[in-house]
Amino acid sequence: MNTIAAAPPAQPFFLDSGAAARFCLYHAPVGACRGAWLYLHPFAEEMNKSRRMAALQARALAQHGYAVLQLDLYGCGDSAGDFGDARWEIWQEDAARGLAWLEQQSGCAAGLWGLRLGALLALDVAQQMAQARPLPGLLLWQPVTNGSQFLTQFLRLKVASQMLTDGRDGGNNSGGTAALKQSLAAGQALEIAGYTIDPALALAIETRSADKFTPPACPVHWFDIAAESGRPLSPAAARAVSALGAAGATVSTHVVAGPQFWATQEIEECQTLLDATIESLPEPCHAA
Amino acid sequence: MPPDEQALTFPCAGEWLTAILSPAAQCASPLQRRGVLIVVGGPQYRAGSHRQFALLARALAAQGIPAMRFDYRGMGDSGGPARNFEDVDSDLRAAIDRFMAAVPGMEEVVIWGLCDAASAALFYAQHDRRVSGLVLLNPWARTPDGHARATLKHYYVERLLQPALWKKVASGQFEFGKALRSLTGLLRASRGGATEQPGAAVPAPSDAAAPAPRASASAMPASPNLHARMQAGWQGFPGPILLIISGADLTAQEFLDMVKASRQWRKLLAAPRVQRRTLPAADHTFSRREWRDQVAAWTAAWVHETGQTGNRAHEIGARA
Repeated sequence: MNTIAAAPPAQPFFLDSGAAARFCLYHAPVGACRGAWLYLHPFAEEMNKSRRMAALQARALAQHGYAVLQLDLYGCGDSAGDFGDARWEIWQEDAARGLAWLEQQSGCAAGLWGLRLGALLALDVAQQMAQARPLPGLLLWQPVTNGSQFLTQFLRLKVASQMLTDGRDGGNNSGGTAALKQSLAAGQALEIAGYTIDPALALAIETRSADKFTPPACPVHWFDIAAESGRPLSPAAARAVSALGAAGATVSTHVVAGPQFWATQEIEECQTLLDATIESLPEPCHAA
Repeated sequence: MPPDEQALTFPCAGEWLTAILSPAAQCASPLQRRGVLIVVGGPQYRAGSHRQFALLARALAAQGIPAMRFDYRGMGDSGGPARNFEDVDSDLRAAIDRFMAAVPGMEEVVIWGLCDAASAALFYAQHDRRVSGLVLLNPWARTPDGHARATLKHYYVERLLQPALWKKVASGQFEFGKALRSLTGLLRASRGGATEQPGAAVPAPSDAAAPAPRASASAMPASPNLHARMQAGWQGFPGPILLIISGADLTAQEFLDMVKASRQWRKLLAAPRVQRRTLPAADHTFSRREWRDQVAAWTAAWVHETGQTGNRAHEIGARA
C-alpha cells in the first residue's frame, strides 16, 4: 500500500486574511506527537527550487510523529504582499506567528528548521526568543553563513543579466556588485532576476552572519551538502559552527553527499539529506 | 481589492494535489463564468518563477476573472513521484473539476501555460469540452536538432555582434578550445547527429554569458514525436488561442523555427482564432515587472474579449 496516499493530505490554509494572510501547509503527525518543526524557506528562486525537498522532508517528519508547518514568509510564495515590500522584521514576526500556531495546534513544543537564508533567519529568531521561551531544537540545512557574501552573490545575477542584455562587461571586476550595493545604500530598490529587493531588507541581510548570534540553548543540527561523501564541513561553516560552540551551543554537524537542490537547474531530490535529518532526531520513546 | 485567496487540496489518482484559488473581485461577477487555470511549466511550482503565477492570478482576479494554479503530481507540495509534462492529463482534469466546483456558475476554463505547460495544455485541451481557450507562452518544442539549430542561429550570431565577447577575446579570457568543442557539438546535433541520444543535453556554449537556460519540467527526454503531438493538439482544439512570445528566449525561437519550417504550422498560426503578441526584449520567464504586467494585461483583455465573442464559434466546433 502506498504510504503517502494512505496518509491524510497535508492541510493548506491561509493564516489570517488580507495583508496578514500567510500561506501555510500543516502536516499532522502520524500517531502521538513527538515534537514539532516550523520550516523557514530560503530566499527568492532558491525557495522555488527547494519546494519539493521541503515537502518530502515535511512528509517524512510527519510519518515519524512530528507536526510540521511550512510557512511562506511575507511577499514570498503564496503569502500576501509583494516581495519588494518584505522586511527582515516582518519575517521574524512571521516565524513567531507560525511557532505559536503550530504549538497550539499540535500541543508540542516547536523548533525551527531552516534552509539557506531560512537557516540564518532561524538562528536570528532563536536568539530573539531565547529569553521568553527557548526553542527545543534547530535543524539548519546548508545555512547561509555570511549575509554580506550572500547578498553579493544575489547581486551578481543582475550583473550577469546586464552583461547579457546590454553587452556590458561587468564580469571581470567587482565594480558591478559594488555599484549595486552603493545604489542600495543610497536607498534605491533593485529589481534582480524578477525580484525587487528593498534597501532595508538588503541591509538586514548584509549585516547578519551565522557566527555572530548568541547560541541558542538547544540542540542544533547543522547539515551541509557536499559533492561527495566523506568531505569535511566547508571552512565557512566550520568557522560558524566553532563560533557557536565556543559561545556554548551544542552543535552536531552532518555532511551528506548530494546535489545543491536549492540552486540546480532542474528539480533535484537529495535522499541522503532526508535520511540524515530523520536519523539526527532523538529515538522515539516507544515502550515496545 | 479581490476577496481572499483560498487554499485547496484535492485527489488525483491516489495522490493529493495542492492549489490556490484567487476568486474574482465581486464588482465583475458576470464574468465569473470563465476562469483561468494557470499550469506550471519548467522546474517550478505553482507560485512560478519570481512569483509570476501568484501575481498573475491576483491580477486576473482583480479584473473579475477567477484564477486557479496548482502543483501537478510530483511537483511542489503535491504528492507522488516526479513526472514529465507529457503525462499530466489526469492532473489537469482533476484540477479543472476542483476549479469548477470551487466557483459556482463557472462554465468554462482557459488554460494558461508557459514553456512545457503550454505544450501540456495543447495535448489536453481537445479532450475536455470545458476548455474554451488557450494562452500559450513560449511553448516548449525542443528536439535535440531543433535546439542546436536555434542555438547556432540565435545565440552564436548574436554573440558575435556583442562588444563583451570581443572584449573577452581581446583580454585573453575567451576559451577558444571550449567554445569550439561546443560549436562542433552543436553543428553535429543540428544535422541530426545527436538524435541517437534523444533528449541528451546539447553541449552548452562554454562562455559565461550562455543563453538563458531551458526551463523544462524535468530532465526526462521529451518523446520523439513532440512536434506531431503539439500539432495534433493545436488542430484538434477548436477554440481561440493567444500566443505570447518572448523575443529574447531560445525556447520561443525553437517553437517559431518549427513553425517556419512547416507549411501546416504556418497555416495553423495564421488562422483568425489565433492572436499573437510579442515582447521583443523579454526573457523566457518574463523576469521584469513591466513584462509580467504586460502579460497579465494581455491575458485579461483576451479572456474578456474571447469570452464575449469567441464562445459561439467554439460551441459550433465539432469535438470528438
